[in-house]
Amino acid sequence: MWKRLLQLVLFVAILGALAWYFEGPREAGSGIGGRLVASQRTEPDSYNRLVSPIYPVELISRLTSAPLIRVNHVSGALEPALATEWAASSDGLTFTLKLRQGVTFSDGTPFTSADVLFSFRALYDRKVASAIASGMMINDKPLVARALDDHTVAITFPAPYGPGLSILDSLPILPRHTLEAALDSGDFGNVWGLNTPPADIVGLGPFVVAEYQPGQRMRFVRNLHYWGKDSAGRALPYLDELVLEFIPDQNAEMLRLQAGSLDLVTDEIRAEDYAALERASAEHKVQLVDAGVSVDPTGLWFNLKPGAPSVKGRAWLQRDELRHAISLAVDRQKIVDTVFLGAAEPAYGPVTRGYGPWFVPSLPHASFDPARAKALLESIGLKDRDGDGQLEDASGKPARIAVITRKGSTLLEHTMASVQEQLGRIGLGVDIVALERGELIRRIVGGDYEAAYYGAPVLSLDPANNSDLWLSSGNFHFWNPGQTSPATPWEKQIDDLMHAQSESMDMARRVALFADVQRVFAEHEPMVFFAAPKVTVAMSARVTGAEPAVVQPQVLWKPETLAVTGAAIR
Amino acid sequence: MMRGHDTGPAMTPAQRVGRAILVAVALGALLAPWIAPHRAGDQLTDRAYAPPTRVRVHDAAGFHAPFFYPQTLTDRLRRQFGVDTATRVPLVIGRGALLQSSAGDQPLLLLGADSLGRDVFSRVALGARWSLGVTLLGALGALLIGAMFGAFAAVAGGRADAWLMRFADFVLVLPAVYLVLVLRALLPAVLSTADVFLLMALLFALAAWPHVARGVRAIVAVELRRDYAEAARAAGAGRWRVVAHVLPATRGFLAAEMILLVPALLSAEAAVSYLGLGFPEPTPSWGTMLQEAANVRVLTEAPWMLAPAAALFIVVFALQLAGARASTRAVFFDSLASHASDPS
Repeated sequence: MWKRLLQLVLFVAILGALAWYFEGPREAGSGIGGRLVASQRTEPDSYNRLVSPIYPVELISRLTSAPLIRVNHVSGALEPALATEWAASSDGLTFTLKLRQGVTFSDGTPFTSADVLFSFRALYDRKVASAIASGMMINDKPLVARALDDHTVAITFPAPYGPGLSILDSLPILPRHTLEAALDSGDFGNVWGLNTPPADIVGLGPFVVAEYQPGQRMRFVRNLHYWGKDSAGRALPYLDELVLEFIPDQNAEMLRLQAGSLDLVTDEIRAEDYAALERASAEHKVQLVDAGVSVDPTGLWFNLKPGAPSVKGRAWLQRDELRHAISLAVDRQKIVDTVFLGAAEPAYGPVTRGYGPWFVPSLPHASFDPARAKALLESIGLKDRDGDGQLEDASGKPARIAVITRKGSTLLEHTMASVQEQLGRIGLGVDIVALERGELIRRIVGGDYEAAYYGAPVLSLDPANNSDLWLSSGNFHFWNPGQTSPATPWEKQIDDLMHAQSESMDMARRVALFADVQRVFAEHEPMVFFAAPKVTVAMSARVTGAEPAVVQPQVLWKPETLAVTGAAIR
Repeated sequence: MMRGHDTGPAMTPAQRVGRAILVAVALGALLAPWIAPHRAGDQLTDRAYAPPTRVRVHDAAGFHAPFFYPQTLTDRLRRQFGVDTATRVPLVIGRGALLQSSAGDQPLLLLGADSLGRDVFSRVALGARWSLGVTLLGALGALLIGAMFGAFAAVAGGRADAWLMRFADFVLVLPAVYLVLVLRALLPAVLSTADVFLLMALLFALAAWPHVARGVRAIVAVELRRDYAEAARAAGAGRWRVVAHVLPATRGFLAAEMILLVPALLSAEAAVSYLGLGFPEPTPSWGTMLQEAANVRVLTEAPWMLAPAAALFIVVFALQLAGARASTRAVFFDSLASHASDPS
């Protein structure tokens, strides 16, 4: 009898211990944990952040990897991540970082300074040709990392750098023990493709990949080895499971959020959905957070690569006057009112009010003036030669521009439809070519287009950290990326100003220099902007612990503190 | 050569109604530029998602010439509009359209506005030309190809018949979506409206002919064994001359196929548009308009954007009414075809 009772007690104790192990040390009834289902409109093309430039891969990297230092998306302050403390040398060029002790990768392998060195090596390896390398350069030169001991690294900047260590926020620390062989053999660009078994994706982030169903979802579970703890000393992340559902259709996304089968929309919501979401909010089903004015407005640019085949025989497509004319001919307020239903601001450049101190409200900009636009177009040989109301070029061919944009994005397609109608009024024809994202990126990267209306998420408010856009050598210098030397005097001028402002440690001087950058940009308008939407973050009322920010990822920048209360979505 | 198929009862009232509707729709499509109060691409300021303007002839002061109350935007983000009942905006005839608002800043929106503030009524009217045009052309092309192919298979008989029908089956099972995607990738990025019209009609004809071919083949095969065909052969008529006498027997089937093909191709136009082979902006077509309206929010908040669906329903309904006799006969021939469809 006693023996049986003892066996029963032992059995119950073992079950309890197992349950505790798999669930983690949680407080009963604390409401922490759960399963969060978020939508993502585009699928990733890799797990390898170093080789993929697209945003979904950055998002996955934020979930499964960790940087040395993280930038708080709300306050802009630096927060310790894998580095717990840091100190600068007297010349401000070298930073000594103390690494967190006792940290292990998700497979249990200890994290050391060798992993940091490996990550920098992979980042700058020429064979890898990392998509994020140009953004991790200072004055086109790489950072140098040295290991002082197993848990201390020294990082030397090639030149003074105003934003300081915030540059490290973009670099995920990778596992040397699993990836070094691939880097040595020159195969690093092919590792961690989407066909990699999830168990092989090893990281230091709060989650690990558990499952990937192409076209449907990617499921993450809590990294049991994650190093983060909350202020009460509880293990992070709170969530047991996080699911990214790939929902390209915005209508379906909104319906699911309202129906309660989605917890979070990771992309911006459309103004036209606001009224319905507001009603859901009044019923306490959804929470809406006004995060501020977007910092990554979409822009229209032309292929300015000299000799680009797609603009052959139509030199006017690359003239400054054409872009100025478009800027003058488009009534931005009309786009704000119609496409964004008022939930946006007219935008005249890439730096919006959301950039805080970097925004220059007094910057001269084009006012709606179709007559001046027509005069400008005439100055480059585009005029109505046959009285049909349409402009023709010097050879008599109709003046038409083909603009590629992303199919399925209501805001992009509607904005271009509005631009098309407004430019049609001055006789300039616009053909909108809506393409699937993959095809769109392929054409942009390959230079196989005349003009594009698109953009990329801005991941930092400090312009020096966005040098990819501003510098002529940058991968995101959309109109003519990756130049070996600046193609135009004004791009050289912007390069010089950007170098000067990134090297300055004086914030006021940096702001002034960046204002000059914006003035040169406005003079030549390599990209024409129309509206900067107000960012509203929509999530289920069950989500707690979110700190929404205007910079993407707006909520998942801090995934470890998210939790879902109540019954989970299955 | 005497045949019994063409004799039958006179046109029923339902058929008359159906044909009258079809004539009205056809006239509406042809005269659309003179009926539509606005151009298809005109984006009216402050009219995104505006509800239909209600035309009235009576108010508290009594009867008047047709007028409407001006709409005012009260909440842009929530898409709420108010009506100023203190002012009447009379309608006028002419000014570039059959019916037009007398006040320039108060557009007449008989079927409301879409998400870009474009007049839905004008777009439905102007879009009818493209949508019905491409559908009719595609359906006629499918009937022509299918009839020729089916008749040839029936006359050829034997192994050629079997191979031809297998080929028709092969076309039927081709994954149309992927074919359209491949076709789109092979074509230039920019296609004019005329290019799209012709391409789409060709695509429809090439995709829809096998159904027609199978039916025609079955009917012709049966008819060729009938007495009158045998008599024609005995009288020395050649193979193709006999076919020329037999083909009229497929008229009922072809009419029924037409009735089935038109709504199917009208819907296909929307699907093809989504795959990138649709009419370019701002060219209106019922398919592209329906594509924009294809979400629940529109159903609840801007149901007027579903006007192209109503237009589509009316056309299909009219076709069904007008073709009721043909359909009844087609049932007979379908039944016949199902018994005789196996070429072996």
